[in-house]
Formats: sequence, C-alpha cells, structure tokens
Amino acid sequence: MSEPKEASILTKVASEVFAGVIAPALENAPLIQAAEDDVLAKEDVLVRMERELKRALKKTPAERRWVMVIDLRRCVGCHACTIACVAENKLPPGIVYRPVLTEEIGKYPNVTYRFLPKPCMQCENAPCTPVCPVNATYTNEEGVIVVDYDQCIGCRACISACPYASRTFDFGLNYTDKTIDGLAMTLGSKQAGKYETAGAAFEYGERRERKHEQSPIGNVRKCHFCLHRIKEGILPACTTTCIGRATFFGDANDPDSLVSELIAKPNVMRLKEDLGTEPRVYYLV
Amino acid sequence: MIKKLAYLFGGLTLLFGLWGFYDRFAHGHQNANYGSYVVWGLWVAMYLFFAGIAAGGFMISTLDLLFGIKIFKGTGRVALWGSLVCLAAALISIGLDNGHLFRIWKVYLQGNPFSLLFQMVWGYTIFGVISVSALALASLQPNSPWLKPLMAVGLVVSFFISGAVGALLGVNASRPFWHVGLLPVQFPVFSLASGAAMLLTALGFFGREDDENRPQQLWILSLSSVVLLIVKIYFMWADYSQSMYGNVPMNVEAVRLVLFGEYWWAFWILQVLVGSLIPLVFLVQRKYATHNHWAGWMGILLLVGYAVARGLIIFPALSVPELEALVHAFSGPHLTFHYFPSLMEWAVTSGTIGIAVLGFLIGSEKFNLFSPTPKEA
Repeated sequence: MSEPKEASILTKVASEVFAGVIAPALENAPLIQAAEDDVLAKEDVLVRMERELKRALKKTPAERRWVMVIDLRRCVGCHACTIACVAENKLPPGIVYRPVLTEEIGKYPNVTYRFLPKPCMQCENAPCTPVCPVNATYTNEEGVIVVDYDQCIGCRACISACPYASRTFDFGLNYTDKTIDGLAMTLGSKQAGKYETAGAAFEYGERRERKHEQSPIGNVRKCHFCLHRIKEGILPACTTTCIGRATFFGDANDPDSLVSELIAKPNVMRLKEDLGTEPRVYYLV
Repeated sequence: MIKKLAYLFGGLTLLFGLWGFYDRFAHGHQNANYGSYVVWGLWVAMYLFFAGIAAGGFMISTLDLLFGIKIFKGTGRVALWGSLVCLAAALISIGLDNGHLFRIWKVYLQGNPFSLLFQMVWGYTIFGVISVSALALASLQPNSPWLKPLMAVGLVVSFFISGAVGALLGVNASRPFWHVGLLPVQFPVFSLASGAAMLLTALGFFGREDDENRPQQLWILSLSSVVLLIVKIYFMWADYSQSMYGNVPMNVEAVRLVLFGEYWWAFWILQVLVGSLIPLVFLVQRKYATHNHWAGWMGILLLVGYAVARGLIIFPALSVPELEALVHAFSGPHLTFHYFPSLMEWAVTSGTIGIAVLGFLIGSEKFNLFSPTPKEA
C-alpha cells in the first residue's frame, strides 16, 4: 500500500518540473480514490493547466478568454504568489500586482484568518481604460488589460478609476537606493543596484532598464497575467508558485478546461459584482 | 505699500518654489507623499483651485467685455489677465503631477476623445487661445466686432472646463464620495465664486484710487461673493447630509475624515472659520466691503477657503480603502491611505503661487490693466 500512497503524494504536491519528471514513471501506479471535487487528487493541476495552456495557444488570441480562479479555501496566506510576482516582474518598492489581503476574524482565543489574493481583475467592463486620455491602457485581444509604457503619461486617472486598487504608480525607487557600498561585489547601490536597474524583467516581452524618468518609471503598472510567460506556454508566476494550489489559470472559452469547470461551480463569486465590471478573476468560497 | 508686500510675497514663494521645481525634475516623484492609494495630492487640488479661478475670472470678465455692465467697466481686462495667470498656474500644477510631462503632445495627436482628460486638455487649449485673443482685442481694438462673439464662446467654454473638472471626479463610480450627480454641477458655481474672490482681491488691493466706481464694484463683488459662498455651503450641506443619511460606508467614512478625522482642522479652521465665516461677517457690512484693503484681505481669505475646499474634495475620497484589508496587505513606500503633502510638494505649490502672483503684478503694471479703458493706458 505504500507505493500507491507515495505516487499520490508526489503527483499532488510536487513542483511542476518535478512532477513532469516523476509522474510518467508512476503512470500506471494506482492512485488512492479521492473525493470527486478534489482536482488535486487526480494529477497536479499545474500539469493539467500547462497542457490546457498549450492547447489554448493553438487558437487565435481573440478565441481565447484567460481567466483566473482562486480557491480561497486553499489559500494559506503564505504570500508566495506576491513574492513570485515581484521577482518575476522585478517590481520596485511600492509596486505590487498581487497583494494578499488578510482579515482577522474573531477574538482571542477564537481567532482565525482568511486570505484574499488580489491580482488585477481584468474586468470585461473595465472602468480604468476609458478614462485614459492617450489610450495607453486597453484590453488586448485576449481580454487582458495592459499598459503601453511608452504611451502612458502618468496622469493616474486609471488608478483613481479602478475599484479594486489594482494599479500602482512607479515612483522610480529601487531597493538598493541609498544603501552603503561594501567591498563585496554584491553589496550596495553601486554593485547590487546594477542587478536591480538592469533590464532583466520581461514584462510585455520587453527588456527595460530602470533609468531616471524613463518608462516604466513615471508610469502606472499593473498585473497582466504574466503575458510574457503565457506566450511561451508557461503559467503565470503566481499560479505556479502557489503552494496550496489555490490559483488556477486557463482559457474559459475551452469547455474542457479546468477553469471552465471551476467557474461553473455554485460557490463561485467575484469582487464587487454590483459595479458591473465583470471581472475575469473568480473566487471559490 | 501693499504692492511691495505682494512683490515680496511673490518673490519669496517663488524662491522657495525653485527648490521644489529642482527636486521635482531631479528626483521625479520620489519625494512626494501622494502614492498609489491617495493617488492625487496637493498639486491636483491646486490645479482644481487655479483652474477654477481661471474659468471664474473669465466668467466675471464677461460682465464688462460681453454684457457691458456699466459699473464693471474697466474690470474686464484685469479679470482676464487674472484668469490667464491662474490658467498657467493650473497647468504647471497638473503638468508637474504627471509622470511624463513631456508626453503631453500625445493627448493632442494620439488621444482618446472619449476620455474626460482628453476633452479637458483640448478645452484648456481652446480656452487659453480665446482668453489671449480676447485680452489682446480688448487692449488693442476694444471696439472690434469680434470681441463680443469671442467672449460669448469663451463663456461657454469656461462653463465646460469648470464642469468637466467636476465630471472628471464624478464619473468615478468606484469613489462614492465623488460619484454624485451634484458634484459636476457645483464646479461652475465654485469657479464663479473663485473668480469673484480673485477680482475682489485685485480691485481691493490694486484698483485705481481715483476710480469713482471702485467702492460700488467692491460692494457688488462682496455681495456676489457672499451669495456664492452661501450657495457653496448649501451644496456642501446637501452633499454631506446625503452621504451621511445614505450610509454607504465608503462615503460616510470620507465625510467623517473631513468633519472629525484626519482633515478636521483643515475643514473647521481653514475652510469654515477662515475661509467662510470671517469673510461672511465682514463682506456683508458695507463699510468693510468697500474699504479697499479690507475687501482685498477678505478676498484672500475666501481664496484660501476655496483652495482648502478643493483639497477636501480630493484627499478624503482617496483616503478610504477600496477594500478594507488593503491597508495592511502590502507594505512599501507610497502605499498608505494617509496623506499630508511633503515639503517638496509644498515648495512646488509655493513656486506656482509665486509665478501666479508675480505674473499678475508684472502683467497688470506692464499692460496698465487697471486703467478703465485701454486708451487711457
């Protein structure tokens, strides 16, 4: 009985790469019968979502409808998604694309927490795009709201219009600013700062150095579902990093996709639905 | 004496402002206290304030240059010049608030016509051209048949640009404090009140001593200011009471911040006491209202009150989190719901005020704007 159990655990909790290497070897191993609604019990959802992502990429962009589903019952509030996003997009201080909202419920000793990861809602009726005076922010063919950094004038009207506080302004700060330079090559603003300011982030598939008053400094920035990763067939950073497998991503226009399954469930909700913004981020509660 | 004081004030504020301008250009927005939550700060409030005077100044100038009201004869050019310098100050304020000031050309050439900001940029451009043309005509060819049609079009545009500022805020459905139909409607009234206060200050301090119409002009402007102030207070009451009775949490919280929270002192001391009650008491009394310096100082107090009122429209609405737990969700610079302008922001505003004051003084002297007719100049 020990072998099947091991196989089940491996395919449930292993990282995507690890699961990809190990899972084929265990292909014929019997799995423990799991509850029908437990998607993790069948195979690591990341494996399935990667497969579905590749399938979706074969369609034209206009035929895809990217959505994100976040299962709040699985979220443990580890903030790994926030940090992964910061690392993936090399976000400077004061910029956040996916904070995790934490709420404390009850009074000591009967206290519990609940968590709500909050990326950009990628609204179908986005209030942020029509206010832009220069069309710098718009909904792309795939339904993702993007910012053209070279077009944005930094007026911040879109931040003001967003009901979800999903946009932040790049004030031009760096983590290594005003740090003391040490002897080692990796310390201080002169040495370590080079890493920070070098163009190693791939947002929107562009390499941009952080230079005085040059975009994205002085621009509004936001979550873009890691479009640069999607394009290469890789899931968004927040999705692959989620240790509780609480974040799901995929094409809602594919009826066989996991996200299509999940958003059809009765326990699904979206934030501030009364505003009519039609978010593309769903929560399972 | 008062003119020397005004020059000194303008010079000192500009001097302090130079440091602010340097900091803004050298370090961008890094040293500002507005952020990604309270996304618009002092500069936007001052933009609303100056743009309000600009639109209102034009409206007031039509009393002389469009409608030809006898008692206001000779005040049109002063009001127009005041309007123009305030337009410049407004555009400096909002220009420096932008992340990429030098991309403003994109609004003209690659703009989104459905955006209110786009419409406002074009509105200000048209308004500026009309104001400059009207001032030039009124100064060089006062009997030109083009002057009145120009002023008539300018009057409509001035209502548009003042209402559009209110609409810019009012269309934000995500901010219940702004999202009331009443807000855009209030702004032309605010503008008219600001324009009247500006002219009251200008005529009170710098009007011609030998102008026999001056006391009557001051009296009418004082009474107009009082009436407009009362209308403004009525609007505020309607706005706040509706919010409180409506009991929408985000709205109530914003009003609470103004009345009893972070901004109580600005509201009760600066807006209500200094900017409303004191001018109200003095301006309803003819002996003070027609006394040049008293009228001038009361005009200043009114303007201070209007400036604070602009801030109290902007900051509280943005100081209420869209989602309550956002406050502690992620820490970092510029991620706070509390706002008080930084020294750099004050310095830039100081410099902008200095430019407006010196611009008004130098221009009014150079173009002899206080002369009743251009021929006497």
